[in-house]
Amino acid sequence: MALTLLHRHVLDDHISGFETNANPNHLSVFRRPVIFSVLAKVGQERAVGAALEAAADIAVRTCAPGEWLAVSQTSGSETVAGQLSAIVDASSVDQSDGKVLLTVSGPSVRKILAKCVAVDLHPDAFADGHSTNMLIGHVTGNLARTGADRFEIIVPRSFAGSVFEELMEMGREFALTAAFAGD
Amino acid sequence: MTSYRLDSGGLVNRSYALTFSFDGKSFKGLDGDTVASALLANDQMLMGRSFKYHRPRGPVTAGSSEPNALVTIGSGARNEPNVRATVAELYAGLTAVSQNRWPSLSFDMGSVNSLLSPLLGAGFYYKTFMWPAKFWEWVYEPVIRRAAGLGKMVMEADPDRYEKSWAHCDLLVVGAGPAGLMAALTAARSGVRVILADEGFRFGGSLLSENLNIGGVSAADYATGLIAELASLPNVTLMPRTTVFGWYDDMVFGAVERVQKHVASPSPDLAVERLWRIVAKRAILASGAEERPLVFGGNDKPGVMTAGAVRTYLNRYSVAVGSKVAVFTNGGSGYRTAADLAARGVEIAAIVDARAASEDVVPAGVRVIRNGAVVATKGRKRIDGLVVERAGFQEEISCDALAMAGGWSPIVHLMCQRGQKPVWSEEKQAFMAPDVGSAFVAAGSAAGTDTVSAALRDGAAKASAFARDLGFAAYEANIPDVEGEYDASFAPLWYVPGAKDKAFVDFQNDVHVSDLGIAQREAFRHIEHTKRYTTAGMATDQGKLGNVNTIGIVAGMRGVSPAEIGTTTFRPFYTPVSFGALAGASRGEHAAPTRTSPLHGWAKKNGATFVEAGLWYRSSWFPKEGEKTWRDSVDREVRNVRENAGLCDVSTLGKIEIFGANAGEFLDRIYSNGFLKLPVGKARYGLMLREDGMVFDDGTTSRLGPNHYVLTTTTAYATEVMTHLEFASQTLWPDLDVCFTSVSDQWAQMSLAGPKARAIMSRIVEDDISDAAFPFLAARTVTLRGGLAARLFRISFSGELAYELAVPAGYGEAVADAIMEAGREDGICAYGVEALNVLRVEKGFVTHSEIDGRATADDLGYGKMMGMNKPDFIGKHLSTRFGLTAADRLQLVGLKPIEADKEFKAGAHLLKENAAPSMASDQGFVSSVCYSPTLGHYIGLAMLKSGRERIGERIIVWDGLRNSEVPAEVCAPVFVDPGNTKLNV
Repeated sequence: MALTLLHRHVLDDHISGFETNANPNHLSVFRRPVIFSVLAKVGQERAVGAALEAAADIAVRTCAPGEWLAVSQTSGSETVAGQLSAIVDASSVDQSDGKVLLTVSGPSVRKILAKCVAVDLHPDAFADGHSTNMLIGHVTGNLARTGADRFEIIVPRSFAGSVFEELMEMGREFALTAAFAGD
Repeated sequence: MTSYRLDSGGLVNRSYALTFSFDGKSFKGLDGDTVASALLANDQMLMGRSFKYHRPRGPVTAGSSEPNALVTIGSGARNEPNVRATVAELYAGLTAVSQNRWPSLSFDMGSVNSLLSPLLGAGFYYKTFMWPAKFWEWVYEPVIRRAAGLGKMVMEADPDRYEKSWAHCDLLVVGAGPAGLMAALTAARSGVRVILADEGFRFGGSLLSENLNIGGVSAADYATGLIAELASLPNVTLMPRTTVFGWYDDMVFGAVERVQKHVASPSPDLAVERLWRIVAKRAILASGAEERPLVFGGNDKPGVMTAGAVRTYLNRYSVAVGSKVAVFTNGGSGYRTAADLAARGVEIAAIVDARAASEDVVPAGVRVIRNGAVVATKGRKRIDGLVVERAGFQEEISCDALAMAGGWSPIVHLMCQRGQKPVWSEEKQAFMAPDVGSAFVAAGSAAGTDTVSAALRDGAAKASAFARDLGFAAYEANIPDVEGEYDASFAPLWYVPGAKDKAFVDFQNDVHVSDLGIAQREAFRHIEHTKRYTTAGMATDQGKLGNVNTIGIVAGMRGVSPAEIGTTTFRPFYTPVSFGALAGASRGEHAAPTRTSPLHGWAKKNGATFVEAGLWYRSSWFPKEGEKTWRDSVDREVRNVRENAGLCDVSTLGKIEIFGANAGEFLDRIYSNGFLKLPVGKARYGLMLREDGMVFDDGTTSRLGPNHYVLTTTTAYATEVMTHLEFASQTLWPDLDVCFTSVSDQWAQMSLAGPKARAIMSRIVEDDISDAAFPFLAARTVTLRGGLAARLFRISFSGELAYELAVPAGYGEAVADAIMEAGREDGICAYGVEALNVLRVEKGFVTHSEIDGRATADDLGYGKMMGMNKPDFIGKHLSTRFGLTAADRLQLVGLKPIEADKEFKAGAHLLKENAAPSMASDQGFVSSVCYSPTLGHYIGLAMLKSGRERIGERIIVWDGLRNSEVPAEVCAPVFVDPGNTKLNV
């Protein structure tokens, strides 16, 4: 008997799929991004970091000294696993099901996020491509700037519902909409 | 008509009238009014009753220091008490009611207190209501609370939304008066990121109230120009209606923005108030100065207000506070007020100057009484005259308002909130801002400047210094000429002798001069003691007006300088902040985050009742039709697991993936038992100790590869264990090649337990999981039918044949569904954490009920897990301390009631038979209890003194809370299958 197993996204219960069109301020949830934790052997943080940055089709998010998230929207899990295992002195583990990736974008995005994070998101202080772990509302997650008015948030799956609802509450003033990317 | 709106002028919009109500009566005000200015424009001077004596009161200021004009605004759940009418922005439809009066504002029964006032001096409550002690709580306090006090709370939930936000800047400027506006603009022109915050709804500060000409335009127009330029700059954030109330560590400022307090129906999409945490590299305090009231007899009557307030009502709101206004002054402000009033056609009754001479300009035809003093005021609900005394000669002067000018105090509150006290200046006769370091300075009249032009220059100079300091090219501001300034200097006058009525120092708390005298006489002499004994400075206004006079008068009574008396302690908040703003959005569902398991949907489908465990929602039991109590469900689930099989969600356990050549060594040091020899493909139960030798946490760790492990923690300690590992790796043994990360959220993990577990699991897993191929403690990656890779562990927390299956979280619900389907013919059930707990108690397994921070491994019966021949592990050395190896320590035992139908509860204590029930005879305590459906009676785990030697002893389970004593037999903690015959099959 072969099992047919349905993959569920944790935010399926939060996003009905009947939202109207995206507003200028919009939250987008990605269904199946590939996300790996990458850990460097002590003393090899710089080399591993450089190798990661060089990997094709992988966005690198900084979590801590010697710890990153490798994110890919285009490659499959096995491809990424292969790329990462080729990096000397790095260990990696698949977190694609353990993390939820969403982006918030739009003209008011910094005002929305200022209600959620204590970090200065002015471009002079937090430039495009910059990422770090921080408290997002009540929850520790990774926040990255991926454009002038675009940020990417990665949070643990079990907390994603709460973080999502918090972001929507903070975005209410700016008519923030939400949908799965591609829906 | 005594107070009235002038026909022209002011910063109110005459084409936009606003209708509002006060005490049920309808009034008309103008756009730009405060509630107080609009009421004054309607000749409503009486706005409240005082706290203790219920004396009639009107506004004494035109700003946020107002002690008297407190009203309740709004109705229903939006009822907001104690709003200062002097800052409340008028809007159409506003409803305000006066407070602290019954039955009405003009006829108040409580004013009988005034007749009793000789009895009600400082310390009255302390002296009078001492006996009998119980009367305080039940009689005195409720009565006093009803008679005194301020506005009333409504007991309805606040319907509005609040939120918190962070802001960051190079320079925060607090206050948008002349110094603040010029500071902000000077810095902004240099390119500095500036935030300018002001508590008012219109920027400009004193520029809105003073009759000046700056650079050829009115002061208000000049302010408008500065604001327009600031608003056009992208590096400037303007925050009107925002009170910066606190200064905290690391240059973080707290501020509250009143987003929608000035609208009749707040938009549900916006917060009504927003709490800001502003992180600033530098800050300038441009909060201005407060004009001091004079302390003379009857200085609290409606119609007596500060001279500056009279000018503000006149120049900003175009309201004359009276038609015949007297002035009592010790400096230039009084003369300026008289001049401004006279220029607008208001009659000046007289200027009473406490000084012998001055060079202030006297308006034409106005009588000046030098060396004069006001000793009493006439009138009840409104002043109608004064008694002025000079050299023993008294005369009555009729008037309908009195402007009092007592000198100026810089508003330095914020700079004194972190320990530093203000510093007395003999030159300025005022308490000045202390030096709090180079990042935060005062400017303008907050720094003691006397004129608007000096304030403009000071703001510019301090801002350009900061700009240079921050690496920006400083912009040199162009300060225009200011025409029409006056000399604001004054001669201090703390106390006016000869008072014929109470002379108030603290209007809001009804503290008058003689109260201060009582405090000195009765040895409450330190200013902090004087404050608490008299309650001076303890009202909601925190003594903004009165404190300096209290200090000056106490100094006078003691014959010393105010410097010697010093100030009381400044603390946040500068003005009251609502609890709604402090809570922000963190209420209701947003109060704390919730964590949901990947199997949450599966549990819901199967009818689970959930329990909050920390932030998690865990399934506790799965009621079936016909089951009346939770016990019915739990008993069935337990029996079914023991007889058939059950599936339980264990996803909430902490899971940590560990890598590195020294990972085994690392674990060997983390755990008390050995991990070096754990083979690949095997799981092992491990015990972690704290450094002090007590058990910290437990769980299984599996070796998935030569340098690859996965460690599990209890649900409750997942974070603590991760922190513990980080500490050990980063600081204890940085030399070890090990790294790890949490994968708790990656896996949906489920426990399939029961004699039929293998049969069911075989239908799901492709690999051979026979006992030979997959024995107890096997741990491997397997393939599910259909191809999904999963992790399978043969571990048991129930004593039954059991597997834990971990699959990527997104597939959790589908795999759990598939297992339920595959197990249907074998009678599988879903079971929750309650049944899980019964199963483990029956089997004598411990949880944090037993591992409570006081138990050693040996106490729990795990002495053999202390690898004392290992070179080291955390907790090894301190575990050998005498107290931790004593023979009479509490040890884990089982308990069963002698009479099978008796019940006892966890938390109960243990006594020897016939011992008196008291903690002196305490023998230990019950840690876990459950009804065992397998055995048919209650069972318990307990920590008992020398417990292992006492198996078979009869003991009393004493529950002092429920007043019960149940005889029980001490037994081994394993109640079911002690030989593990069910496990190894």
